[in-house]
Amino acid sequence: MTGATHFELPDYHEQSPPVRERFAQLDARPVVMRVDHLGKTFLGAQGEVQALGDIEFDVRRGEFISVIGPSGCGKSTLIRILAGLDYPTEGAVMLDGEPVIGPGADRGMVFQGYTLFPWLTVEKNVMFGLKMKGVKRREAREQARHWLEVVGLSGFAGHYPKQLSGGMKQRVAIARALANQPRILLMDEPFGALDAQTRAHMQAHLLKIWRDLDVTILFITHDLDEAVYLSDRIVAMGTGPGHVQEMIEVPVERPRSPEQFLSGPFLATKKRLEELIHPRTEEMRALEA
Amino acid sequence: MSRQKNTAGARLFAVRQDVSPRARAVLTALAFALPLLMWSAVSYTPFIWHPYVLVEDPGDTTVAGKYDYVREGQRVELAEFEGRNRELAAAGKQLATGERANPIYLPAPHEVARAFVTAFGTEPQRRGDQWLHESLWHSCQIIFWGFIYSAMLGVPIGVLCGSLSFFSRLVEPFVDFVRYMPAPVFGALAVAILGLKDEPKITIIFIGTFFQMVLVVSNTTRQLDGALIEAAQTLGAKNRQLLARVVVPGILPNLYRDMRILIGWAWTYLVVAELIGEKSGISAFIYQQQRYRNFENVYAAIAMIGLIGLFTDQILAFIGRFLFPWENERPRFFYRIQRLFGGAREGGSDTQAQAQARVAVKAEASR
Repeated sequence: MTGATHFELPDYHEQSPPVRERFAQLDARPVVMRVDHLGKTFLGAQGEVQALGDIEFDVRRGEFISVIGPSGCGKSTLIRILAGLDYPTEGAVMLDGEPVIGPGADRGMVFQGYTLFPWLTVEKNVMFGLKMKGVKRREAREQARHWLEVVGLSGFAGHYPKQLSGGMKQRVAIARALANQPRILLMDEPFGALDAQTRAHMQAHLLKIWRDLDVTILFITHDLDEAVYLSDRIVAMGTGPGHVQEMIEVPVERPRSPEQFLSGPFLATKKRLEELIHPRTEEMRALEA
Repeated sequence: MSRQKNTAGARLFAVRQDVSPRARAVLTALAFALPLLMWSAVSYTPFIWHPYVLVEDPGDTTVAGKYDYVREGQRVELAEFEGRNRELAAAGKQLATGERANPIYLPAPHEVARAFVTAFGTEPQRRGDQWLHESLWHSCQIIFWGFIYSAMLGVPIGVLCGSLSFFSRLVEPFVDFVRYMPAPVFGALAVAILGLKDEPKITIIFIGTFFQMVLVVSNTTRQLDGALIEAAQTLGAKNRQLLARVVVPGILPNLYRDMRILIGWAWTYLVVAELIGEKSGISAFIYQQQRYRNFENVYAAIAMIGLIGLFTDQILAFIGRFLFPWENERPRFFYRIQRLFGGAREGGSDTQAQAQARVAVKAEASR
């Protein structure tokens, strides 16, 4: 590897005093969601396939936690189980100490694909969850207006989803999930289908919403930068079957900004993730030699 | 490398590309003009087909021979006409004259066009029979009620089958079994049970459409994006709410399209339905006119069925463009009407927020 410039990166375990203090605060907060020895076995055509094995971690109140892993590690299966759209074959998911059975309004979900109801206007989409709860129309509309303001789409209340760009659709989806004031917001690669610039914009926007509202977010991504930029902690998953390789405490100070992308702690974390998620295979080494 | 020129000709035959609006209009006109042209060609050019001769003057009828039955006003085969003239020529008498003609079952376009008007004014041959407009109205009613009953039952059952595995397993195997039975086979039964009037006819239309409808609607329901249902579940929607607030509105535009297709299906069972029991409606009219060999009336009546079908479908399509504003842009003429009244671009006055929002959309779109 001649000619390559080598940076001296700090150890990603090193935490500056403000970062250390933040994690100390987080640890003192109550656990919102406990993933308790979770396992999932599918019955496929060739017999049983274990997708997830013994996943265990806690999500604390107000935390931003990301789950990252190579494709096929079962992160989508995991978040579907957390949302109650799928069920575990071992272990359990506890929300505020109660086991999760089936989907519910206490866990908001933002999907990767666009799942706005095409027949409802933006405002009525945001009102949907409130209407399900039996909130009166006028009250629901007022709340929906508030949440649209939060995501910066006040002027689009009367638009249909078809008239919106991809980034705006996802912002409405976030508003729709937040309107239910869920205990935890689950996000399954929500920005995966967006172009790079819109995605950067959405990340900044999400961080602002999270800071202003103090919501708990569990975020699935396969983008290393996105994970480090947004998260307090990162669950690095591995394949065969899907398991937790390491729980990384991100040593990057808050508030976050794009300038930190080239800072020592950021790069050190990213390098560690790179090692965990994209390990060098024999074939790659042979190609590099 | 020269790229293929985007000429009009190339665009007309490009796979999966719509032709220009003008070409579309021309092609639509041709769709009707071409068959009409072929029909006119066969009817008005004497050397195309015309296998008969309409005898105007039989010549000297006293000459005996193999073909001496040829008389004035008869429609005889060309070979017979020529044979008769050979006999007359051999006898040295006056020759028969006549015009080349098509068979009686192929009237010319103008005759059918005239029948279109005169058929309505033709008094029923027997007292108590219906006038043409009464027949048509009667047929429309049979179709309407058969289809309405079928939809009232078929749509809910189809939606349930498409959403709940329980109903799908319970209902669909039997429906699949019955739908292969041609509806007309139930004709005799329907008459035996329900009498000779309209009830058995409506029943035939019902049987013809209902079983197909259940399957078509359940299929349409199944095609609804499952992610929408899951999204609704994470927002707290439960079973009945999912059906009423997500499944039904979600499939509505496709359901409407299905109904348009299925109503066409109902028309295909009309003739069988009307000929069982007491013959009625447009089919009775056609049957009667065919017996009197008024074939121009038969063609006119058949064309009327086609026109009524086309007309209802176009009306339904037109209404459909207003029913589902989230699916289609509003029809262009709608904007034109709006522009006439005040010239606002998007529904009256723009709030400032909307104007700002629009700028934001453009900015995001141009990124």
